[in-house]
Amino acid sequence: MLALTFDRNIPAYALVKAAGGRPDVATSPLALLHLEDVEPPKLPGSDWHRVHPQVSGICGSDIAAITGHASFYMDPLTSFPFIPGHELCGRLDDGSRVVVQPVLGCAVRGIDPPCRMCAEGRIGLCENVTEGEIEVGLQTGYCHDTGGGWGELLVAHESQLYEVPDALTDGAAMLTEPLACAIHAALRTGAQPEDTVLVMGAGCLGLLTVAAVKTFTPPRKLICVAKYPHQAELARSLGADLVVAPGEVYQRVRFATQARRVDTIGNLLEKRPVLLGGADLVFECAGSASSLSDSVRLARGGGKVVLVGMPGKEEVDWAPIWQRELQVTGAYAYGVEANGKRTFDLALELAPSLKLDRLAGPFFALEDYRDAIEYAMSSGRLSAVRVAFDQRSEA
Amino acid sequence: MAAPAWYSGSVGLSALVRSLGGALDDYRKLRRGFHWDTPRPAEWPEASNAVPDRPTTLGWARMEPVRSLRWALQKGMLMPFTEVMAHPKVEGEEWVQELHRPVILASNHTSHADTPLLLYALGDRVRERTVVAAAADYFYSRRVIGFLTSLWLNTFPFARTGGPQEVLNRSSQLLKSGWNLLVFPEGTRSDTGALQEFRPGVGHLATENRVDVIPMHVRGAHRIMPKGRNVPLPAQATVRIGKPLKVGEGETSRSFAERVEKAVHELADGAESAQVTGSWIDRWQATAPRKTRR
Amino acid sequence: MRPGAVVEVDRNTPPTLFHYGEGFRLERLPLGSRIIYPPDPMDPIGHPERAIRRALTKPIEDDPLKDLLRPGMKLTIAFDDLSLPLPPMASPDVRQLVIEEVVDMAAHAGIEDIQLIAAIGLHRKMTADEIRHIVGDRVFTAFWPDRLYNHDAEDPADNVQIGKTSNGEEVWLNRRALESDLVVYVNLTLVPMDGGQKSMSTGLGCYRSIKEHHTVHTLLNSNSYMHPPDSALHHSCIRQGQIIEDAVRVFHIETSLNNHAFPAIANFLQKRETDWTTSDQAAFYALKQATDLAPPDLKRTMFHSMLAPYGMTSVQAGQVDKVHDKTLEAVRSQMLVPVEGQTDVVTMGIPYLGPYNPNSILNPVLVVCLGLGYLFNLYKNKPVVREGGVVIMSHPTRYEFHSVHHPSYIDFYDEVLADTTDSAEIEKRYEKRFAEDPWYRQMYQQSYAYHGVHPFYAWYWAAHALAYLGDVIVVGGERSTVHRLGFKAATTLEDAFEMAEQTVGRYPSVSHLRTPPLLLAEVE
Repeated sequence: MLALTFDRNIPAYALVKAAGGRPDVATSPLALLHLEDVEPPKLPGSDWHRVHPQVSGICGSDIAAITGHASFYMDPLTSFPFIPGHELCGRLDDGSRVVVQPVLGCAVRGIDPPCRMCAEGRIGLCENVTEGEIEVGLQTGYCHDTGGGWGELLVAHESQLYEVPDALTDGAAMLTEPLACAIHAALRTGAQPEDTVLVMGAGCLGLLTVAAVKTFTPPRKLICVAKYPHQAELARSLGADLVVAPGEVYQRVRFATQARRVDTIGNLLEKRPVLLGGADLVFECAGSASSLSDSVRLARGGGKVVLVGMPGKEEVDWAPIWQRELQVTGAYAYGVEANGKRTFDLALELAPSLKLDRLAGPFFALEDYRDAIEYAMSSGRLSAVRVAFDQRSEA
Repeated sequence: MAAPAWYSGSVGLSALVRSLGGALDDYRKLRRGFHWDTPRPAEWPEASNAVPDRPTTLGWARMEPVRSLRWALQKGMLMPFTEVMAHPKVEGEEWVQELHRPVILASNHTSHADTPLLLYALGDRVRERTVVAAAADYFYSRRVIGFLTSLWLNTFPFARTGGPQEVLNRSSQLLKSGWNLLVFPEGTRSDTGALQEFRPGVGHLATENRVDVIPMHVRGAHRIMPKGRNVPLPAQATVRIGKPLKVGEGETSRSFAERVEKAVHELADGAESAQVTGSWIDRWQATAPRKTRR
Repeated sequence: MRPGAVVEVDRNTPPTLFHYGEGFRLERLPLGSRIIYPPDPMDPIGHPERAIRRALTKPIEDDPLKDLLRPGMKLTIAFDDLSLPLPPMASPDVRQLVIEEVVDMAAHAGIEDIQLIAAIGLHRKMTADEIRHIVGDRVFTAFWPDRLYNHDAEDPADNVQIGKTSNGEEVWLNRRALESDLVVYVNLTLVPMDGGQKSMSTGLGCYRSIKEHHTVHTLLNSNSYMHPPDSALHHSCIRQGQIIEDAVRVFHIETSLNNHAFPAIANFLQKRETDWTTSDQAAFYALKQATDLAPPDLKRTMFHSMLAPYGMTSVQAGQVDKVHDKTLEAVRSQMLVPVEGQTDVVTMGIPYLGPYNPNSILNPVLVVCLGLGYLFNLYKNKPVVREGGVVIMSHPTRYEFHSVHHPSYIDFYDEVLADTTDSAEIEKRYEKRFAEDPWYRQMYQQSYAYHGVHPFYAWYWAAHALAYLGDVIVVGGERSTVHRLGFKAATTLEDAFEMAEQTVGRYPSVSHLRTPPLLLAEVE
């Protein structure tokens, strides 16, 4: 079976890290990711199914892993070597289309009774990710035994499988997973109708967060920070009231929230102004240090900053968090929401109305993975949102 | 062309030999007769530099081209340096804008930085006509230092023991010849930055010459360069200039000196009273441009 | 003095100068176009100090100033801010001469309680150096900062409502001025819009009184506000001014200047192209090349350091209206140019400086204010361009704002103009929000920012032109900015004429306003 595998390899890691994540180095034969012929994963049990990935997205967290930016925190929660790819649309052996909910919680691992988190429905926080009949791994795509979307075959527990309605194309269905993340973040924090909400970043996750916030907790004003024109356009069409460029974010947010702005004059080390006031709720969807630093300055005192994009070991000034009494909270994965519905069901319900096709593509074959990764790393500049691997047969 | 005289006795080789012989002889006498590099006999009386130093008024410091050179040095280096180091804030500069007669400027003294700051506050026109009284025993004990301070700051030696009438006379001479006199009546720099007691000399000078005294106060110089430190550090300084004090009819020099001391104290306290800073009308009229024919 | 002239372009006409922000363009206008030139500068008064003294001792319909001053009284001197004159006047400013004379008299009379207030209205506060330039060193050192300061229109303790006009307009005034026994207003009038009752009511008013006449409605009915009898804006100011006159004793001093607006180094800007000597041509050539090459910041520093050698042409004191009539007469005799009939197209070069950006940046909103507000309105009877005609302006219109002086302009451009450019719509939906924004208020009070509502007024200033014109084309403007302003961008003047023809028809008649120096076109 042809698959892209990711292994733990210190010299390769050092090389990639030293190259600062340059795409040609990060995808070279000496790097962490390889295209190989591997043994297809075996079905761990009777309630497991074989899934043939059709399209499989290249997520920001995958890029972070490939370029050596991912946090070592994830290291013990991963089993090597693994086949990446956790947002995908596949077909079962019987030909029906499914999306895979990648979290490997107690139910998937056959653990009964489940841990308290899984019992609550917060399967993303499962405490048994190292136990059970399969290897260590938070998600499909980080676990040795399950395979992943970037291979020809993976195995999934039946509790992971969701049937795709006909209204969704493969590309749109692939985005169910990030959409579920966004919905989980929106519902977990619950913006109030009079709030001003700021979404930092308009990559795939940022755009889907805009859509999720607009649908589930519509605030008074929804502002999205978008760097590139196509992102701005998509953000507007997905429900942002105001789209601003990163360079003007302090000015525009100040105006939108009627805050007061205090600039330091002549400080060459810190150009960021301070806002007295600011957004009630900030969704940080870029995961970069500069975006995080902006987020904690743009939230009002007592406001909330939600980390949706995966951060690594980033240098962030903690003073605003302390002085503004901010609540900084994460939003990871999905499960069962407060309204009793599974996040993936909500996502599949919402997806058809969002025309997510626009966000998927371009598609690459597995063999062209070097081009694909390189394209994905500069997707913003190249007017793409979610680059993906396409393994559909030519028929 | 006249031929050289052939008959003059002591020329030529014989004269040369004679004088060389004499020199050798003299050397021998000196070499043996005095104690070179050997201890001085104990019975000899104490050595003394019996010839007094040639007295100097340092008059050269107040003549061209030294004045022009000093103007260039102050304008080009000292004042910009002061500006950068202290960002001086000057209050009451209207009192020294249009001075018609020489005055005595009396200030507190906390630091070597005082003089540049005070000169800065005076403005170009007055600074050029101001001499600074500098401690004779401190600045003029060494030639080079004395020369340099005179060149840069237009100082003159001022004996601070208050004694010699000669010093006061010289100061009076300067005042009479049209120079403003900047004095520090405390006599020495204050160790703590606090004001010390004034000496009465300033009163003598003012009463004797019938000139006004302008009280001044520098705040912050102590932080720039306190006594005992040789390298200035940047710090903000404020110079306040008060209303000129006139010697009253029949006022004694001592009571006038007390009045000056009180005025400097009030400036130090930041008092806005009309006795010190004057009403706006006084200040306005003090700055009236000199009437010139148009 | 040579009067202004309207010159027709023929084959022998040299190319015409267009101001172009911090730069110039030399353009050939189509044959048969006419160029409207301002009159040459009038001869200034030989002894300004003497003239001022005479005006103060023999005022119009008022007692001599000396008789009004007595010890123990409260005296306030208010003066116009740095929006006048343009460019700033080379020292000594006429206001300095007048203020020194008044202060001298007050000192003589022994008045202890005297304060000087810069009547900035909703303009930005002036820096110490800017005030020093206006009032001179002597006044500055004597009074700054306790008795010489900027008016603050946002300090609730400092502004008092004194009544309402017959039309229900609120009248507010600076508290110190109101509590004074005498207010001496020192004015400088450059164009007929300035001065008179507008001085006090606007300069020492606050948002609540200024907003009564700075509205789209009044400005649409001010045709033009450069001619007070036809200006609803001025009628409203006069109504407010009368209430003020009833409440406070005001002694008004007005001065007028000639239009010698450019220093010797830029003499060619003052001259008609036909009068350019070889040295003028060389100076133009050198300056043109320099401005083409230099980075914007450097150019700006260069241009803003230029001071005008204005001369005083008249000074009068006394009762506001009577004084103002005389001032206007003097201003008109300097500026007026008779022009016969309107044309389809008017071209104008937008210079680097308008009333709201001394030592600052002429941002895109101010370009509109200067071109379609001030320059368009420099007419009497009717505009030089016909109704539905086209104005062609030349300015680079880069996206540039001064972040200290114009913070509300940035938001006005990004938030308001992105939404709509319709003045009435803007007034209705956004004005209040900007006027009450706490940050703008803070920047106005504690920094050097124009009031939050100021960009609106800059925009309303052009409301009459925007309603009247068929189209506006900006030559050499940055495309995205020009589109945001609601205009069309052209690369060359020829292209602009091509585009204008689509609005006004083939072979349009063209007038070029060769200004500054300023002129007032009296269109028959």
